[in-house]
Amino acid sequence: MKCGVKFCGGCNPRYDRGAAYREIKEELKDIDFVHAEEDVPVDNLLVIGGCTACCASYEQYDVKDQVFKMWDKDHIENIKTKLKAITED
Amino acid sequence: MLMTGEQYIESLRQLKTRVYMFGKKIENWVDDPIIRPSINCVKVTYDLAQDPEYKDLMTVKSSLTGETINRFAHLHQSTEDLRNKVKMQRLCGQKTAGCFQRCVGMDAFNATFSTTFEIDKAYGTKYHENFVNFLKMVQEKDLVVDGAMTDPKGNRGKRPSQQVDPDLFVRIKERREDGIVVRGAKVHQTGSINSHWHIVMPTQAMTEEDKDYAVAFACPSDTEGMFMVYGRQSCDTRKLEPGADIDLGNAQFGGQEALVVFDDVFIPNEYIFMAGEYDFAGMLVERFAGYHRQSYGGCKVGVGDVLIGAAALAAEYNGAQRASHIKDKLIEMTHLNETLYCCGIACSAEGYPTEAGNYQIDLLLANVCKQNVTRFPYEIVRLAEDIAGGLMVTMPSETDFKSDLAVGKNGETIGDFCQKFFVGNEAACNTEARQRIMRLVENLCLGSAAVGYRTESMHGAGSPQAQRIMIQRQGNIEGKKELAKAIAGIK
Repeated sequence: MKCGVKFCGGCNPRYDRGAAYREIKEELKDIDFVHAEEDVPVDNLLVIGGCTACCASYEQYDVKDQVFKMWDKDHIENIKTKLKAITED
Repeated sequence: MLMTGEQYIESLRQLKTRVYMFGKKIENWVDDPIIRPSINCVKVTYDLAQDPEYKDLMTVKSSLTGETINRFAHLHQSTEDLRNKVKMQRLCGQKTAGCFQRCVGMDAFNATFSTTFEIDKAYGTKYHENFVNFLKMVQEKDLVVDGAMTDPKGNRGKRPSQQVDPDLFVRIKERREDGIVVRGAKVHQTGSINSHWHIVMPTQAMTEEDKDYAVAFACPSDTEGMFMVYGRQSCDTRKLEPGADIDLGNAQFGGQEALVVFDDVFIPNEYIFMAGEYDFAGMLVERFAGYHRQSYGGCKVGVGDVLIGAAALAAEYNGAQRASHIKDKLIEMTHLNETLYCCGIACSAEGYPTEAGNYQIDLLLANVCKQNVTRFPYEIVRLAEDIAGGLMVTMPSETDFKSDLAVGKNGETIGDFCQKFFVGNEAACNTEARQRIMRLVENLCLGSAAVGYRTESMHGAGSPQAQRIMIQRQGNIEGKKELAKAIAGIK
């Protein structure tokens, strides 16, 4: 499964977004994580915001299935669970 | 085409910009130890645009070409764009703890775009077309442009045309078929040496007598007749000390201001955006100042984030982090800093479209934003100094800490004594970490970065009184009187 990743711009993040991404990526080795790009279709998209505004733009991407959004480090486990469930389906 | 940071540095080497400092011409200014930290600061605006973690803020689709460009070259198309501008500036402030210099160009682009549209509508000129063509080139090449507004101004009690020396405001000295010749100077020019081009704008509203001073144009930074004299900063020559590192506080980054002289510079017609339309000088100044007052609700907040972090570390390294008054002071610093950010976001959220189509900030809220910026960083600095303690200004140099000169009765060196007596909370840090954080606090509060964080907060984008005049104009006191009358039952 190919999962695009989109970060918000990181003006005032309340946690380390990069570390959160690395943790998710490290645990879900079966998923092909790529930085989201226009005109490059992905199966799912993970939007990593730094605060509750989670203002990253993502409408421009070609996402076949679902968009997952996180904006708090407490969301990491939940995201892992959801993405893992998709790969197991 | 977005440039990388390295390509930006190389692009500067291609320029023949004339730079003078300490009475000498600086041939290789790109690698000069005093100037280079300010170039590194601008480079960050290119580096972050390449980084997936930050490009959502740093890049955007051009409204002119549809291509992906650096947001610093963008015409704001919505209130979301205005908010993202402030967010981007906070981010850049966090990453540099200094002035990254590229905002003045962005603010000049947006102000000139909308003003030239309205001049053309009134006078049938083609300044807007000139400007759009210029901006397309800037976006395509991903250039840095200095937005140059402030004139030397001479006697503040006199208008430009009344000055004893007519050159104290930039003026049209000669009008030719193919362009104009300009003379004068701009002072306090942030990042001018690090810019590929300059946009020059009038410094204030003009009258008919000042017609030749109502001039706006663009020119390459290395154009014939133009040169810069570098502005010195507190503690600047520390950068010349051999092996200087810790004592700089921020060895990587810094700001830059310069005097820019126009010694009879020819400007071709296609780069002229105003040439005598004095009734629009005030509009251009007000719009630029409005954008720039919004900017400070982002950039200074980012630098404030670093200073708050440094103060918290200083407390930890001193072993005082659990004291309730320290925690309270950090809360107060954060409160002040986020209040500035609130103002930056608020004046953006309340923005509106101009006749030309780009978005302008809410002028009242932007002026309130900047008025707060003239005060809060000073209080944040005061609290940082309070938390850090006197060591930030009394500590021996890093050379002493490294000295192997034996001075003790048992052969201990100066370095040994410094290491022994400047130890802090050994569980949290070594002596060098303590030295480094104290020097960073010094750098921001009263060293070279204080130029940007303190005095620029006071006078940049207009001195406090300039904002108070705008607040008075926009504040609608008459409307408030009516509200009071209605509540009080006064007919």
